[in-house]
Amino acid sequence: MKKSTITRSLVAALSAAALSATLVGCASDEPQDPNALDITIARSFDVAGLDPGFLTENAQVVDNIFDTLVTRDEDEALVPSLAESWEQVEDTVWEFTLRDDVEFTNGEPFNAEAVKYSIDRVLDPENQAPTLSYISTVDAVNVVDEYTVQVVTADPDPLIPTRFSRYPTEIVPPAYTEEVGQEQFAQEPIGTGPYVFESWEKGASVTLTRNDDYWGDTPSVARVTFRVYPEVATSVSALERGEVDLVAGVGPDQLDTIEDSENAYLSTAPRAGNIVYFGLNADHEALSDVRVRQALNYAVDVDSIVDNVLGGAAVATNSIIGPADFGYAGEPEGYDYDPARAKELLAEAGYADGFTIELDTVNWYQKNTDVAQAVAQFLSEVGVTATINDVESSVYRQTVPAGEQAPMYMLGWSSTNTLDADASIYAILHTGESYSTYSNPDVDALLDEARYATADTPREELYAQIQETYIADAPRIFMYQENQYYGVSNDLQWEGRIDTALDVASIEAAAAE
Amino acid sequence: MIRYTIRRLLQGALAIIGAITIVFFILRLSGDPARLMLPPEASQEQVDAMRETLGFTRPLWQQYLDFLGDTFTGNFGDSLYYGSPALSLVLERLPATLILAVVAILLSVLVGMTVGVISAHKKNTPLDYMLTGVVLFGQSMPVFWVAVILIFVFAESLRWLPTSGFDGPLSLILPAVALSFYSAAPIARTTRASMITVLDQNYITAAIAQGFSPRQVLIGKALKNSLLPVITIIGLEFGTMVGGAVVSETVFAWPGVGRLIMDAIGNRDFPLAQVCVLVLSVVFILINIVIDLLYTYIDPRIQADWRAGKTA
Repeated sequence: MKKSTITRSLVAALSAAALSATLVGCASDEPQDPNALDITIARSFDVAGLDPGFLTENAQVVDNIFDTLVTRDEDEALVPSLAESWEQVEDTVWEFTLRDDVEFTNGEPFNAEAVKYSIDRVLDPENQAPTLSYISTVDAVNVVDEYTVQVVTADPDPLIPTRFSRYPTEIVPPAYTEEVGQEQFAQEPIGTGPYVFESWEKGASVTLTRNDDYWGDTPSVARVTFRVYPEVATSVSALERGEVDLVAGVGPDQLDTIEDSENAYLSTAPRAGNIVYFGLNADHEALSDVRVRQALNYAVDVDSIVDNVLGGAAVATNSIIGPADFGYAGEPEGYDYDPARAKELLAEAGYADGFTIELDTVNWYQKNTDVAQAVAQFLSEVGVTATINDVESSVYRQTVPAGEQAPMYMLGWSSTNTLDADASIYAILHTGESYSTYSNPDVDALLDEARYATADTPREELYAQIQETYIADAPRIFMYQENQYYGVSNDLQWEGRIDTALDVASIEAAAAE
Repeated sequence: MIRYTIRRLLQGALAIIGAITIVFFILRLSGDPARLMLPPEASQEQVDAMRETLGFTRPLWQQYLDFLGDTFTGNFGDSLYYGSPALSLVLERLPATLILAVVAILLSVLVGMTVGVISAHKKNTPLDYMLTGVVLFGQSMPVFWVAVILIFVFAESLRWLPTSGFDGPLSLILPAVALSFYSAAPIARTTRASMITVLDQNYITAAIAQGFSPRQVLIGKALKNSLLPVITIIGLEFGTMVGGAVVSETVFAWPGVGRLIMDAIGNRDFPLAQVCVLVLSVVFILINIVIDLLYTYIDPRIQADWRAGKTA
């Protein structure tokens, strides 16, 4: 740490002269008309396509081109967007009243037909929409009149407004989409959103310009380029140099650099990331004993890992549901760091001399290898020898759903901006789900009851009950929830959101000093 | 000569078929993209349906025959990930890769051959040791590290050059320099070794005796006659740069084929990965043919051998 500071000041001193020379050059493009902000946002990967109904990654870029019926405000409350209002008219029917003053940027009218068309094409099994599961509860979308639609579900689904606030339910123009076809639409999308697609240089950047006829408030940013920086260290240098105005996905290693920067500031979205844990598969002989699973929890000092390995870029927690999600019940009691207790439990279970176990880790999580090594170190102190396999990402995405991962495996989950406990835990707790190695009939029943709930189901209580049982069963080593960080140029005013959206319309020029 | 070139082209075609065959099977050994294209929450039924649609449930030999047939009829398929034609995705990226590789190899040649010639001329002197030491040091440093340091010094601190990207000649300098660090050393070593052998030859002694100036002897006689092994190395290094500039492309956000192929493999994007390998194989084989032809230009004896039917 010290060494790098010294190097940095040395280089800074050496380059002082050169700097002052280039500063003159920079100054000329400094004064900006606040209505003509032209910004660059760094992301670590390119979009695969720009059709919100058929995304294979998140919707950070396309959500600026399209609108959904419902949206979330800065407090993450569901608020009207293309729909003025909505209500549950029957247990399985939701009715949305639409705005009547919206046009797509090609002049096509926005109406109930457009909503029906947009959802039907995702539901059509022929089309193989990757994110079909996000709206698979929907049976049909029915046009009531030009500005009213009804969404019919097979079972009661309390999350319909949430589902219509995120991909794949963005509304697309039927005539244009039909005319150009799905493949071409993904290359040249048209929506109703605050930005219009300008260009996409594959592997390098996507550029959008402001929709001057937008039905909502006119955004401050006139033009935005999402550029691909596969290496975060480079994007942070580019931010420092003013080539980039906002960096998404800043990792623990870059936090100091941005905090020390004179040109940019760090925006933190606490606990906006995954809840990371080490799954314990009860099919393993030793792990089938609950005392062993509890012992492993007592053996690991999570606070120390968060502070020393992650540099504080996460929050230690026993909760399996994030604080922004519906169903969060505060911070539950769990297993504190208590190696003596761990040894006792291991001895009781007949493993006084410990055992050997394989541990899988994957680079989906910050500093995953370091975290896994720290965990293995703590485990070795109670006699358990963990062998770490650093599994390649695309391999892990196949071995885990196939149930072929090591008995102890690193995984993280979140409500992926549904902000509801169902998305946070169903897929990793319910028996038989691809990412679950846990099986408890009581928990299964509660999960299903909470999923197919009617208006009066006490869902919050159900989730509290699930969490209590789950913690006692200890089918994982409870670890932490990651924070998310953004580097933002001092020229801009913006705070990172818990739902990881990069809503360009919410970016403002920094107030003049 | 023409017959030779045609034969080389045919051999090249065979090599390409071999390469894409290997890639076809190796990619499929490590699973398929159905899981990777769907979000983690997707059910097994959805995955199976996707697999069916993509045609991965058919027997492997049938998929392979279809693939060969498609390839020979110029139908390379759509990228599974991008949903657009795989060939055009690769061809869009190829210029960036070629520009970077050409500039980097020119830099390597300039530095490598200069060092090689001076080292050979001043054989076993402190200058020789110093120069070979410096290029060896360049080769020993990991490209990733060199790249990050270059960005830190020349982009962030001095602000002379952009950190990254693919806009204009200035953005080319850092990635090309980072890439050339690695290749300068083998070129320097080969030049030095080859020059030392040539400088011992009788015709060099003869040239000196005939009163040619040291410079004429060194550059005009010795260097020209030492070029063959050097050209071979340059060809190999250039080939590696075209296909293997992944680290440079990643750090400098350079939209080249190296990153495309890495991502394609990571996504199990079979059509795209296959076309990447196909295009890179074609480039690699063309480079080799050009180098063979260069041999005959540099050393007419080789052409004479061909004429006499003594082809190697």
